[in-house]
Amino acid sequence: MAQLLNEIEWHEPLLAPDIDPAWEAELKSRGGNVSEVDRRVAPSPWLRETCLGITLGKACALPAHLFNVAALVTSQENACRYCYGANRAYMKMLGYPESFIRRIEQDVHLAELDEKERALVTFCRNLARSRPRPALAERDALVRLGYTRAAAHEIALWIALGCFYNRVSILIASPPELGFEGWVGAKRRWFALAGPVMRILAARRRQGKPDPAATDAALRAGIYGSVLAPLAGLPGAMIMKSALEGAFASNVLSRGTKALMFAIVARSLDCRPSETEARRLLAAEGFSDAEIEKSLASLESARVPASEARLLPWVRDTVHFQTAQIQGRTRELAAAIGNAAVLEAIGVAALANATVRLAMLVE
Amino acid sequence: MSQAAAAWLLGGALLLAGAFAWAWLRRAREAESLFAETRRKLEQLQREFERFAPPDLVERLTAGRGDVAPQRRQVTMLFADLRGFTSLCDRLDPGLTVSILNDYFRHMSGAIGRHHGHITELVGDGLLALFGALENNPWQCRDAVLAALDMRAALAAYNAELSAKSLPQLQFGIGIHSGEVIVGVMGAGELNKFTVTGDPINVASRVEGLTRDLGVDLLITEQVRAALDAGFRVRPMPPTPVKGKPEPIQTYHVESVDNR
Repeated sequence: MAQLLNEIEWHEPLLAPDIDPAWEAELKSRGGNVSEVDRRVAPSPWLRETCLGITLGKACALPAHLFNVAALVTSQENACRYCYGANRAYMKMLGYPESFIRRIEQDVHLAELDEKERALVTFCRNLARSRPRPALAERDALVRLGYTRAAAHEIALWIALGCFYNRVSILIASPPELGFEGWVGAKRRWFALAGPVMRILAARRRQGKPDPAATDAALRAGIYGSVLAPLAGLPGAMIMKSALEGAFASNVLSRGTKALMFAIVARSLDCRPSETEARRLLAAEGFSDAEIEKSLASLESARVPASEARLLPWVRDTVHFQTAQIQGRTRELAAAIGNAAVLEAIGVAALANATVRLAMLVE
Repeated sequence: MSQAAAAWLLGGALLLAGAFAWAWLRRAREAESLFAETRRKLEQLQREFERFAPPDLVERLTAGRGDVAPQRRQVTMLFADLRGFTSLCDRLDPGLTVSILNDYFRHMSGAIGRHHGHITELVGDGLLALFGALENNPWQCRDAVLAALDMRAALAAYNAELSAKSLPQLQFGIGIHSGEVIVGVMGAGELNKFTVTGDPINVASRVEGLTRDLGVDLLITEQVRAALDAGFRVRPMPPTPVKGKPEPIQTYHVESVDNR
């Protein structure tokens, strides 16, 4: 059963804020607010860019109302105290009644949702949870209910990106935005009145146009291109593509370790297309088929630097977890490999989980 | 109609509409409160139910999902049994016996849960844990052996606690085997449980029994050993006949694992 906000056990922050005035100024100039997560992921250029891309992200086929519901459900399903609390407060700021939010949280089908919206909530829960991961047939079910194919793909993309952000927040144990949550709570009467107007403004801010740069060919050309290709035209597609390219270009962890982390998450969720892509990356790093198989069976590899060996069994535990337990394990990992490496590993693990969930579109 | 009569009529109609609206709102509030109470009871029931079955399974059953239908799966089974506990029961106060047993199960359950397994049965002082029964788990043999090694460490720690209280120490035997079994909710009418059935479960139970004969605490079969990497230190035991098998079976004693 998905937990409610006050039921989620949450550790003290793993990382201290890393104040980078230049980055914070840029972040504000691009329309972002400097969050607790932003402050902690700042040392990793690709990770901070991805997190900002997600918070400023736009959708062209998915209505803002459904976007908000999907974000709430995904963060609740992932038991991310940080995102769940922030999404909940954001929805209250937009004037959603407490009773509506509560019914969504409790997965009550009497909520003011129609059949299409209820299907979206169920799809969010199933894809975020991935026990087992939904198959392509579930996307087709959304299309049959009246979603366009682009909207169905955009839903899957934003759930995957939500899973990414949730995992980053969980694994760094980012402190919840209690200031924002408290402020919204204190002004709830005002927001109950002004909410509908705020909702229109927020919807305009969230509304994007198809991205001409995100062509099928451009997406297919890079890392995990076959998984990204169905996202052609969607404004959020380039967030995934840039994240994948940034993560694999970064030299904090070895490329072989990162590819193995992706392969392990793929195998854990029994995802053939993702494992095939990861094997391609590993082959490019000189791994033979036998070496890959042995590494996947044993969760260790002689080709992985000794300092990174612990990442292989750890990443497997980021697929399905109890929040407090994985935060404890990540703290042990940080003590062993240091903050810079653990931050990078958190980003890679979160990205692997997002990518493998997205791969449902090509299975 | 005079203006006064029209005003009276309008007033009456408004009063009537107001009364209807008030009654409707009151009903809606009552329904809302009844619904909230029912929801609270259902949640409580679900949480209580999670004490008797794995939370994932409870979720699937309450959501009415079809994936608890019986199916064949590769599953790794771990049997653990306390040695000499029955005679201990005769000597100790019943309350103390239950308290020791509950603490033992709590320690073992923690070790099993940390390695992606779940306990499906407690029979007397024995337990059956499954790995890979509820979801895809390519590392189920490794998980089961790591869980068993963790159980060994947990038992040592618990024995130290018992010793400090001048209570008798516990000893267990663990048998692990992996094979294709049928998993599903089985039972009759009033009593059902999620469990497994098939020949491999009998083998796992027999292997646990062999720990007594071979004088070791942890035995695995060839199928499990084949899935382990070189970091696990195992010692082959003499092939031993077991009930129901025409040939003696090869087992291995797991001594330790490298630091992981």
